[in-house]
Amino acid sequence: MTKNWFLNYINKKKADPAPLAVFRIGFGLMMAISIIRFWSYGWIELLYLNPKFHFKYFGFEWVKVYGNITYLIFLLCLISAIFVALGYRYKLSIVTFFLTFTYIELMDKTTYLNHYYFISSLSFLMCFLPAGKYFSLDNYFSKKNYKSIPKWSIDSLKLFICLIYFFAGIAKLNSDWLFEAQPISIWFKSKYDLPVIGENLMQFPWFHYLVSWCGMLYDIFIPFLLLYSRTRILAFIFVIIFHVLTKIFFPPIGMFPFIMIVSALIFFSPKFHNKIISKLRRLLFVKSSNLKELNLKSSNYALLIVALFLTLQTLLPLRHLLYPGELFWNEEGYRFSWRVMLMEKRGYSTFKIEDSVTKKFFYVDNQDFLTPFQEKQMSFQPDFILEYAHFLGDHFKNQGHKNLKVYVDSFVALNGRPSQRFVDPTADLYQIEESFKHKNWIIPFKHEIKGF
Amino acid sequence: MRLKFLLKIILIMLFISCAGSDSSESTSINSPVIINNNASSTTSSSTTSSSTTTVPAEFDRGAMLTFWADKIIIPSLESFNESLFQLLEATNSFIDNPDQEKLSQLREKWLISYKSWQFVEMFDIGKAEEIYFKNRLNLYPVNRDRVDSNIDSGSYDLDKAENFTSQGFAAIDYLLFGIGENDDSIVSKYLVSDSSHSKYLKDVVSKAVELTNIVKVDWEEGYRNTFVELTDNTATSSINKLTNDFIFYYEKGFRANKIGIPAGVFSGSPLPDRVEAYYGRVYSRALAIEAANAVDNFFNGRSYSDNEDVGLSLKSYLDFVEGDGVSSKLSDEIDAQIAASIESIGSLKQNFVDQVNENNIEMLKTYDVIQAGVVMLKVDMLQKLNISVDYVDADGD
Repeated sequence: MTKNWFLNYINKKKADPAPLAVFRIGFGLMMAISIIRFWSYGWIELLYLNPKFHFKYFGFEWVKVYGNITYLIFLLCLISAIFVALGYRYKLSIVTFFLTFTYIELMDKTTYLNHYYFISSLSFLMCFLPAGKYFSLDNYFSKKNYKSIPKWSIDSLKLFICLIYFFAGIAKLNSDWLFEAQPISIWFKSKYDLPVIGENLMQFPWFHYLVSWCGMLYDIFIPFLLLYSRTRILAFIFVIIFHVLTKIFFPPIGMFPFIMIVSALIFFSPKFHNKIISKLRRLLFVKSSNLKELNLKSSNYALLIVALFLTLQTLLPLRHLLYPGELFWNEEGYRFSWRVMLMEKRGYSTFKIEDSVTKKFFYVDNQDFLTPFQEKQMSFQPDFILEYAHFLGDHFKNQGHKNLKVYVDSFVALNGRPSQRFVDPTADLYQIEESFKHKNWIIPFKHEIKGF
Repeated sequence: MRLKFLLKIILIMLFISCAGSDSSESTSINSPVIINNNASSTTSSSTTSSSTTTVPAEFDRGAMLTFWADKIIIPSLESFNESLFQLLEATNSFIDNPDQEKLSQLREKWLISYKSWQFVEMFDIGKAEEIYFKNRLNLYPVNRDRVDSNIDSGSYDLDKAENFTSQGFAAIDYLLFGIGENDDSIVSKYLVSDSSHSKYLKDVVSKAVELTNIVKVDWEEGYRNTFVELTDNTATSSINKLTNDFIFYYEKGFRANKIGIPAGVFSGSPLPDRVEAYYGRVYSRALAIEAANAVDNFFNGRSYSDNEDVGLSLKSYLDFVEGDGVSSKLSDEIDAQIAASIESIGSLKQNFVDQVNENNIEMLKTYDVIQAGVVMLKVDMLQKLNISVDYVDADGD
């Protein structure tokens, strides 16, 4: 019975292609704007070209920054984003976008943001969705139009967005967030300079709790409210309010709120999207031409990859359960898990290079090798500390230092608690290799944060 | 219908968010408005909220900045400026008529001025930052070869960056203590007619006077008001910039330059020639103590001219943010750490050159004591105040 239903759903269930087309246009435009913004702010130089050393993701050490070719990658990324919006050679464009955007992100993990990961993941998913089959230049050139696409293609997108919200929500089910209102409390108190509310509302403890709880409830329940047609409009209003508020409270959040607002449109009915498309048609003086009307068949290979992708997206945020110790402290399984704005963490890490025979040592001035931003990010994240220790070890070994040991003096403070020593100062990091195993050289967190 | 309705909402919301972020970026005119709003809204909201929560006690950031400017920064600049005038006077009277006694008087004035400088170096903001004030007054070690060649050639431009290491206190230190075997041979260099040493000494002292005057006048005529008004929490606001300057000074000007580098913390073996006031020999400890006092006074908000006059400070700001609910106050721990630093420096030899040559272990211990303070200031304090330390203009999550 269920098997039949499932096969029927996969092979037979059709959907109007309009929502996916609108999504494609919105996504392409947002990405184009984001890249132009990034470029115009001089961030390509600041974040990728200026640093002497780049932090790499485990397994992606081969990704290099090739000087001015970086501009070319950004240009390619920009052009492909515009082509995605236009629906011109959609398949090639979205694959190019995914590859260039992801390559950029892999160049230096210092810049890791959940919303960059979201865009990488989303563009990967879109490589396997028929988003260029309607209201696209491809239709115009091929003289073919599709009046239906497999329903699973739109549903997979909805499911992915639901997963993000849901995981972001349950990540907030912890004692710091709910019972200490941390880190919202630290962040809001320092927003005393906001007009009107800065010196009052932003300072009230009850407001910090209110915002923490509402944020948690919003993230957990918004997927369901968006899925259910009778609550959809209300949910969308919530989406707008929530993301606009994050933009007001945290201006450096950049384009993310707008991307999420546009993404949430996917939940609306085909009727709604067709209205948008007919408006666009009028605006652009494009006639709905006489094209051959076709139904798009489901592709098994695309379906398989999408299914694997969604499975992976469900499992990745749970991988921290395999590690001992406090997740916020050890950060084993923290990234790629939709843990957004969840903690206020700072550190200070200085590296000691020792000759194990003569016992002579010296400390490294991090500014010699890292930008202030890299130093800040390195100072509290274990994988950064280890990678940098190896870089330093290699660097000084090449300079002729012998019997080299690399130690770190590292202190970290989390969510307003007093700072605590972070890494075993007797551990020679140069001998420790990065792996997916638990990092037993991290000194366990002295406090307990209960929860998921 | 639906579409129109939604589009309207989106437009309105986008408008609000843009307006919100715009006004948080334009900074200077906001602060008085905030105070007014606060006064009215606390009264109106008190009926609803006061039963459950207490209205937070306010911290007047503008008053803190005013105290910093009027009671710490400007007075210390004025006092430093005055000491430089006396140094210039002593220089003039020495080069007019060089002898042993005048040299001693000149050295005395140099030391007074050098000590006074320790209270100024950390305020690397405004004009000081713009003209590289601290690099031009106290970059050491002095580039001895460059000073010698400048003196020989007689043509040099002290405003050029390449000459930053051949001017300021370190250059004067060399000119007063280092250019001869003994005092007689030093004086003799200034005794020759049209002495190029005299000219260089005077030029270097005059340049210090000139630069200090630029910074002082700028504070007195306008910058002070700008400084006091920028109370918000952004990369360009006064609280954040000066707090970062303070920590940077603690870490670099104080910890690394005075103690760490000579002790060989960053090089593996001691570097005695990196000691501050290297040629004067016996003054390095005294200067380091002054620097520690300057740190102590600024953190605690003690007026420059009267240490009993205490105003709003990083300490009181920290206490305000921490609230009453903490068992041990961070500000107390920082104070204890600063006190321990002063004590540890005090236990060192008067001359750090001797210290690192004879017993560098003690120098390294002192470094560790100061280092512990960096963690408290840079990690704990900045987290509590939520002040960014890097100010990279990039997106956050």
